[in-house]
Amino acid sequence: MTIRRILRGERGYPVLLARIPDPPPSLWVRGDADPGVLADTAVAIVGARACSGYGRTVARMLASGTAAAGAVVVSGLARGIDGEAHRGALAAPGRTVAVLGCGVDRDYPAAHAELAHAIVAGGGLVVSEYAPGVEPAPWRFPARNRIIAGLAAATVVVEARERSGALITADFALEDGREVLAVPGEVTCALSAGTNALLRQGATPATSVADVLEALGLEARPVAAEEPDDPVAVAVLAALAAGSTTADGLVRATGLSAADVATALTLLELAGRVAVEEGTVRSTIAR
Amino acid sequence: MLGRAVTFALVGLEPRRVEVEAHLRTGQQPTFSIVGLADRACQEAKHRVRSGVHSALLRWPGEVITVNLAPAALRKEGTGFDLAIALTVLAASGQVPVARLEEHACIGELGLDGAVRPVAGVIAAAEGAARAGLGRVLCPAGSAREAALAGVEAIGVHHLMEAVGYLLGRDAIAPAAPGEGRRAPAVAADLADVRGQERGRRALELAAAGGHNLLLAGPPGTGKTMLARRLPSILPELSRAEALEVTRIHSVAGTLPPGSGLVATPPFRAPHHGASAASVVGGGAIPRPGEVSLAHRGVLLLDELPEFPRPVLEALRQPLEDGVVSVARVGGRALFPARFRLVATMNLCPCGGRGDPRIECTCTPARVSAYRDKVSRALLDRFDLVVAMPRPRAEELAAPAAEPSAAVRARVVEAAARLAREAPPRRPAASELLDRAVDRLPLSGRGRARVARVARTVAALAGSGEVLPEHVAEALSYRSPTELAAP
Repeated sequence: MTIRRILRGERGYPVLLARIPDPPPSLWVRGDADPGVLADTAVAIVGARACSGYGRTVARMLASGTAAAGAVVVSGLARGIDGEAHRGALAAPGRTVAVLGCGVDRDYPAAHAELAHAIVAGGGLVVSEYAPGVEPAPWRFPARNRIIAGLAAATVVVEARERSGALITADFALEDGREVLAVPGEVTCALSAGTNALLRQGATPATSVADVLEALGLEARPVAAEEPDDPVAVAVLAALAAGSTTADGLVRATGLSAADVATALTLLELAGRVAVEEGTVRSTIAR
Repeated sequence: MLGRAVTFALVGLEPRRVEVEAHLRTGQQPTFSIVGLADRACQEAKHRVRSGVHSALLRWPGEVITVNLAPAALRKEGTGFDLAIALTVLAASGQVPVARLEEHACIGELGLDGAVRPVAGVIAAAEGAARAGLGRVLCPAGSAREAALAGVEAIGVHHLMEAVGYLLGRDAIAPAAPGEGRRAPAVAADLADVRGQERGRRALELAAAGGHNLLLAGPPGTGKTMLARRLPSILPELSRAEALEVTRIHSVAGTLPPGSGLVATPPFRAPHHGASAASVVGGGAIPRPGEVSLAHRGVLLLDELPEFPRPVLEALRQPLEDGVVSVARVGGRALFPARFRLVATMNLCPCGGRGDPRIECTCTPARVSAYRDKVSRALLDRFDLVVAMPRPRAEELAAPAAEPSAAVRARVVEAAARLAREAPPRRPAASELLDRAVDRLPLSGRGRARVARVARTVAALAGSGEVLPEHVAEALSYRSPTELAAP
């Protein structure tokens, strides 16, 4: 494992981060990629650990879309939204940076050890202001959030409860004068209370990849939307757009057999058009 | 005088020949002793046999009586030796012809009134007799049809007096007809009762046709258990060979109702999650078949899978892999067949709210992982079909009654027969799709093999001679989703 230390003022210390009120005196960096990755246009995508399938799908969609357009996706390697943001960026394939609240040699949470490896292998970096060996502690996470916000030109909050750590990141971003975006959620869902509150306070709604790219000042790379021509798949997508959310619902809405719907869903999933999670089917394309 | 009879002791399902000898000699005081490693229940035979002989209005010899159960090294347990002991004593005292008794194997328990009562494992004992070249079996009348299945002349008797009359040649008893008459299945729960749940029903059909294990996951109240309980109603009838295996196991376990013949319908077992590992898998000081063996050729339902203790779940892996449970004991090894379809249900989180749009799940990610960790990756890998069942909406519950079990079973029978003839080969395009899926989706090597297996069943149900890409695609939709795995 390659670990380097970049002191503030040295070449390679990210310029944007140096501009925040209390930049860390040094950054520990794990990974072989050039530290220039930290200076590239970056978006922070953060949110709840205990997130919903909706949050997961949207985090993945936004991360892979912005990473495909060339931006670096910054997040905190936590469970839930953070993890999906990293995965989405890696799937693009694109670069992503994880900021830890402990030493960069600690794989925290342990469940994301493999993800951390994938980030480094994918040309990204794992960074922290703490020296290798420092244990994770709850009081270090808010400080870690200031680095996430500080590295990024814009911060997107995907899902957050009323008192979520992700809102702390958003606050830092506002203090630093960076753009803050929030993904609208259902008003009856506690998981979206934090993001909807941000929107009420004037955050930019993040309803598509284009919204995020606009905030970053990036051009969307025109992706030829590959629309399926199979009539079964077309019928399934239409029923999905009309509000069906489960395989059984799609069976009834389309009049197709359960077998045909299962077949179509797998093919659409392989094509990246839908996400199926715990029986709930979602389109991966924002409408 | 010496009397001799043959009976059978069971080690697991295996009959072992036991020679019962009775010896009488004149002594100062009349005594009665049984030697030859007889357990408690078998020692108590003394009292039952003596009272039974008296009740049958026969003479109890007032001499020193020694009964030996040979081979003496084999442990004898249970009450099935009573009839043989009583008849050898009667033979030794000249009340029954010795030579005629030796032509029969004797099995049965005696009551104090001399009645001959049914015991467990009669069919296995009768099979032992057939193998030992003993063509006739004296057994309780209630078990005669069962014994006759082994291809022996089964002489069913209700009372010791009847047995003696028969052996003396005074009364003729016609050998029982084998209990081939297939029992009409009890009014089984029918699939027509299940509204909606199209995907779950489809998975159930695949599980029935291909013999796949099925895991149903979803919030409480979505009909997981209701669906699982209906799997037996769409399974094909057992073949004669299978039915004999099942009958033998149930006879040995004592779960066969007296008077019944061949068990022709696939058994259904649903042990509670409080059950011990020995009762689920089989075992005990004297090895007994567990629930997995009682479910042989049928269905084992484990409702609320994560609630089962970890040792029980881990003990399931051997039978799931080998189709047999092996119980090693000092006296030898007992093998119990255990080839069953496993159906399990579970919630998506400990509070049960996950997957239900009306309830906000309050479980922390750590609690959800801990709950799912209870089911190991290795066990999860044994489920070919994993289906998440979200809560149905009101309009789905109001849906018209769906297809009844009989219609589904007809398709299952046809597909199972097709699969038994030959496994359909895979089109190159189907293999390509499978390779692409392994690249794109989190799918292990074992997962790939599982999908390939399910795809064959899908093809068979579609009546196709080949596995086509669409069959692989459907099979892929039942793979175990990563989020059900331990993270």
